[in-house]
Amino acid sequence: MFEYFKIFSVPRKLRAIGVLGMNARNHGIIARYNKRSLYPLVDDKVQTKKLANNIDINTPRMIGVIEHQYQVKDLMQVVGKHKEFVIKPAHGSQGKGVLVIKKYNNGEFITASGKKLSFNDVYQHISNLLSGLYSLGGQYDVALIEELVHFSDAFKNFSYQGIPDVRIIVYKGYPIMAMMRLATKESDGRANLHQGAVGVGLNMQTGKAVQAVSHNVPIDFHPDTGTDLMTLQVPFWREHLMIGAQAYEMTGLGYLGADIVLDKKRGPMMLELNARPGLAVQIANGRGLKEAIKTVDKYYPKNLTAQERVDFVLNYKK
Amino acid sequence: MKKIFSVRGILGILLVCSIFFASYATYYKIEHWGFSINPKEKTDVWTVDAHISFIPTGEPIEVSLSTPKISDEYKILSEDVIAKGYEISEDEKHMRVTMKSKPRKGLQDIYYRIMLYDNEDVTGKVRDSSVQQVQQPIFVDEQQQQMVEEIWALADQKEGKPAKKIIELLNQKPLPEEVDAFLPIKKSQRVMAEKIMFLLAVKNIPSRIVRGVKLKEKKRSASADLMLEVYEGSKWMIYNMETGVAGLPKNFVIFQRGGVSLLDVAGGNKSEVKFSVMKSAISSFKMANRRAKYENSNLFEYSIYNLPMLEQNTLKWLMIFPLGILIVVLMRNVVGISTMGTFTPMLIAMSLIRTGFVAGIICFGLIVSLGLIIRTMLTRLNLLLVPRISAVVIFVIIIMQMLTVLGYHYDFRIASSAVFFPIIITAWIIERASITWEEEGARNATKQIINTSIVAVFTYLIISNDYIRYLMFAFNEWNLVILFIVMLLGTYTGYRITELKRFAPLIKEK
Repeated sequence: MFEYFKIFSVPRKLRAIGVLGMNARNHGIIARYNKRSLYPLVDDKVQTKKLANNIDINTPRMIGVIEHQYQVKDLMQVVGKHKEFVIKPAHGSQGKGVLVIKKYNNGEFITASGKKLSFNDVYQHISNLLSGLYSLGGQYDVALIEELVHFSDAFKNFSYQGIPDVRIIVYKGYPIMAMMRLATKESDGRANLHQGAVGVGLNMQTGKAVQAVSHNVPIDFHPDTGTDLMTLQVPFWREHLMIGAQAYEMTGLGYLGADIVLDKKRGPMMLELNARPGLAVQIANGRGLKEAIKTVDKYYPKNLTAQERVDFVLNYKK
Repeated sequence: MKKIFSVRGILGILLVCSIFFASYATYYKIEHWGFSINPKEKTDVWTVDAHISFIPTGEPIEVSLSTPKISDEYKILSEDVIAKGYEISEDEKHMRVTMKSKPRKGLQDIYYRIMLYDNEDVTGKVRDSSVQQVQQPIFVDEQQQQMVEEIWALADQKEGKPAKKIIELLNQKPLPEEVDAFLPIKKSQRVMAEKIMFLLAVKNIPSRIVRGVKLKEKKRSASADLMLEVYEGSKWMIYNMETGVAGLPKNFVIFQRGGVSLLDVAGGNKSEVKFSVMKSAISSFKMANRRAKYENSNLFEYSIYNLPMLEQNTLKWLMIFPLGILIVVLMRNVVGISTMGTFTPMLIAMSLIRTGFVAGIICFGLIVSLGLIIRTMLTRLNLLLVPRISAVVIFVIIIMQMLTVLGYHYDFRIASSAVFFPIIITAWIIERASITWEEEGARNATKQIINTSIVAVFTYLIISNDYIRYLMFAFNEWNLVILFIVMLLGTYTGYRITELKRFAPLIKEK
């Protein structure tokens, strides 16, 4: 009985370490720094990609877009000579409706997990996608065809299938907190912490693991691969931070989450941006976002370029 | 200063203002409209029937009855005369009702009915500055004069006004010899009144008989009750002839006083008037409009309580919504329970009120489970969103139909409550549960359904309470307070209760 109450903390203690609550995030941060009119920039992946390309942020290259049902039959013309590609809903979230084609031959498609699909299956998938099956609220959607990301081997044993990605929280252009999300057997290849993925908090200066959590509980080893998570270090850390910092100027959002994946050849690439990133990053890092936000407001200089901001973060000493 | 002009400051001030307003409105309604905090509080309504009967002589008939007048002592709910074929006219100035008719045959019955409520004790003073003449009584003989003097001598040993002294003496038990000899053996109210008046006249004190009805439950065909009014310098004071207590008690309704007659019948013989009394209790709330009329309250006419019953019932239903909404806001933003659809739990709770709790829960569970099974089959068909949800809606309607028909056929009452659930909402619950199931696993889907049910049941428990519903309807101004509480909650940036658990791992014990 008493044990049960121990899993609750008291507001005073949370406040003391500067944990950001949902209400405070919505009312104090998002409503204040993220203009509603800017949301479409991040909600539509095609737009995000175009904006990113304008300022040379690395993203998976776009092969084409299918906007209308009558264009679906022309899929192969859009794909052209690409040997592999990904079909994504432009308004999707959390990896819903993403179809990865590794190989295709005479109307037979092989997906990333090795499943064989006929042209009709793929046609049906895109058709559903256009009608809004995967978009929030069911509005009409657009299919984005882009190049496949070749994941770096740096995280080979850190993730059980799925795509390991880095989520960076950016406040007023400063990357303030970051975590790596690793898929597990339980999360079924997805990178959502509440579905059982592992979250690894990252040191902002080095990109090294600070701590790791699974289901809110600190762990040291990946539950499926058994890899020591504390040995994790994200390569090209500066480039990761640069993508986050540049996303601020690119979108104008004062508070955003940038999802970044690491490509073998092309390095860190921005996958998508989020205007209301979740709060789980705090648990992964074992520290509060409010505290980090306060520090930025108090000590961080204003009117710096993205590069200067990243340098400031990398060299910041308390 | 800055704090006051912030959003929160302004809302806080508005909240305080609304609380003051609501409190005053509540006070006003209780004080002036007779609303009660207790829905079960009843108002006693007295029905007094005056039954006039007489035998016509064959001449044109004119019956005139003195009636109670509007006074502080009570309020009149209704006044009615049942006299078939008579021409009825009311003389409001002299408080008489007159019934006229052509010559008739046979025993005549006329009923005058008055309904009174809010009876109160009053002093019973009547201002009258006119000079009152007292007809000096004529003694039959010296012996009588002597007896009267002795009686007064006895009375003077008592305290108080002469009227009180003499009434007390005449009601004393055992009676002193002198008084006993003075009074006749049969002491009717009428005789007693005359004797007291006689004794008072000796001392030059004017007095008169007051006729009325003593309000006593189940009184049948009784003669008028009497009280005595005594002139005490510029005002008439009313006395109880049995106790000598001055003042008009709340259970006495005056029909006639002074020189006028209680009943006049022209063209009839053997006329008499008998009174019957009945007490009934009507909910205070229903009496409100009557009270408001006495208060000349224009506000009442524009209030929802002056609407026809149908509209009132609809509004009664609506008035509970804000409270349900407040619970939803609290559950989401303060407790932090995520439910399927923002107002879904409240709508389920509303349906539960109509179906009854157990029946509703079982029925709802059945509909959702059956719907989920069908929805799982639909998944394989890979339909588009709008046609798919539409199909679910139609399936829900079919399930409801089946449950209702089966329920009726097998006399299983629970099933017939199916029709009360909002169809579209139910379909969306099924759709969302199914999607959650597919994407986040059965555990998360079940968790969400359970969360939604908990909030729905909690909301139900609060809004199904008759007392709370009565309060929210009778004192609907509190909805304004709820509005500002909800708006203030919109600025709440503290932790949600569920977050205390979620972020607990961040606290490192030292």
